[in-house]
Amino acid sequence: MAGSKPPALDFRGVGKAFGDTVVLDDFTLTVAPGETVTLIGPSGSGKTTVLRLAMLLERPDRGDIRVLGESITNVSAKESRRIARNLGMVFQQFNLFPHMTILQNLDLAQRTVMRLGRSAASARSIEHLEMVGLRDKADCYPLQLSGGQQQRVALARALTLRPKVLLLDEITSALDPELVGEVLEVVRKVTAETDITTLLVTHEMRFARDISDRVVMMDEGRVIEEAPPRTLFTKPSSPRTQAFIRRVLDH
Amino acid sequence: MTWDWQYAWSIMPALLSGVRETFVVTLAAGALALGLGMLIAVAGWFAPGRVKLLVRGFVELARGLPILVLLFFAFYALPQYGVVLSPYTTGVLVLGVVYGAYCSEVYRGGIVSLPRGMWDACAALNLPRRTTWARVILPMVVRNSVGALGAYIIVIYKQTALLVTIGVPVLLTTAQTAGYASYRYLEPYTLAGVLYLLLNLPSMWMVRALERRVARGGF
Repeated sequence: MAGSKPPALDFRGVGKAFGDTVVLDDFTLTVAPGETVTLIGPSGSGKTTVLRLAMLLERPDRGDIRVLGESITNVSAKESRRIARNLGMVFQQFNLFPHMTILQNLDLAQRTVMRLGRSAASARSIEHLEMVGLRDKADCYPLQLSGGQQQRVALARALTLRPKVLLLDEITSALDPELVGEVLEVVRKVTAETDITTLLVTHEMRFARDISDRVVMMDEGRVIEEAPPRTLFTKPSSPRTQAFIRRVLDH
Repeated sequence: MTWDWQYAWSIMPALLSGVRETFVVTLAAGALALGLGMLIAVAGWFAPGRVKLLVRGFVELARGLPILVLLFFAFYALPQYGVVLSPYTTGVLVLGVVYGAYCSEVYRGGIVSLPRGMWDACAALNLPRRTTWARVILPMVVRNSVGALGAYIIVIYKQTALLVTIGVPVLLTTAQTAGYASYRYLEPYTLAGVLYLLLNLPSMWMVRALERRVARGGF
């Protein structure tokens, strides 16, 4: 990596506690540009917090976090907003704005953040809806769509801002099983067709295995083990990883 | 004494003019309450500690005092300080401010109870604070509060009857005047009651329909 681009995401000795609960403890992880990395581990191991810290939704107590080489830990609100423009995040609960149509959901940030005019924004919104196969839903309201469709819209909405790094937080966990596939298909397409960096948390082990360049096993706020998916899923070196993988694959 | 239809009909024009006045006062006080309530809620949210305390105190005062006391104070005591307001202005201001305080609590509750995910989504989209509030938070709060806000508007409508005490020609005032003029009270007050109810029921249905509409998502 000498002399090459800085890592897309770089967590160095990050600590985070909520009250007395230590969520991350000396968490260190580097994600290279264009890489797709999946965080796995038992619930409560701090996976979601890693994403929320990267998105600047939470502040770390200790350590440093860098996005594309720039530290986001001790910067002004204005600076952090500028850096956050490189990031996009999709949530477990979709978080679409229920009072706006699908098109308005996609237009809003383009118009206020990218400062595009109405027609330019809408044209891009339609393009992105087409990409997730939901062009015909542009004028619907979120609650008129299925969970899977809402999540595809949420993905499209995040992508309209052309983030360099995409954070996906258990984006299929709130979905009925038969709707999981369509959402993962979109993620697969995006990661394959663009040079976007993706850090995701998922409980879909098969998907993690297919899509990831690297899988990171977390427990108790630390990285236990990281390896390419084939290695990690077939020959995990840590007993905790072995136990976790056995447990989830049994289901 | 029995019901006199002829007399009842003869006072209807006066009562209907009272209905019109009641409407005007309700709309003016209601608009003031909705706007002021929003202002108080947002100011209370962003204000530094001491100002927040001031806002809080104002809300508690407005909600804690009997409306009649405020009404009499504004109408009879303020002129001693050179503030002379017409009955109509006094009524609209007092009702608007008091129910503005109530509405501010509705808005505040609405802001507090918005799911964290909405704030997260705004932050993840990098929306400026202004956009976050103007396009996402407040519109959602208003929609979620339609039922409670509508209920307060209906309360304002009924409370306009208090303005009889300072001589605003609302429905109750016109009924009272008709009664005094003829020494017959059965017809004017019965009709006033019926008219209050007749106009109130559809408003309540409208509020409920609006609530259902909002619950389905979209608008």
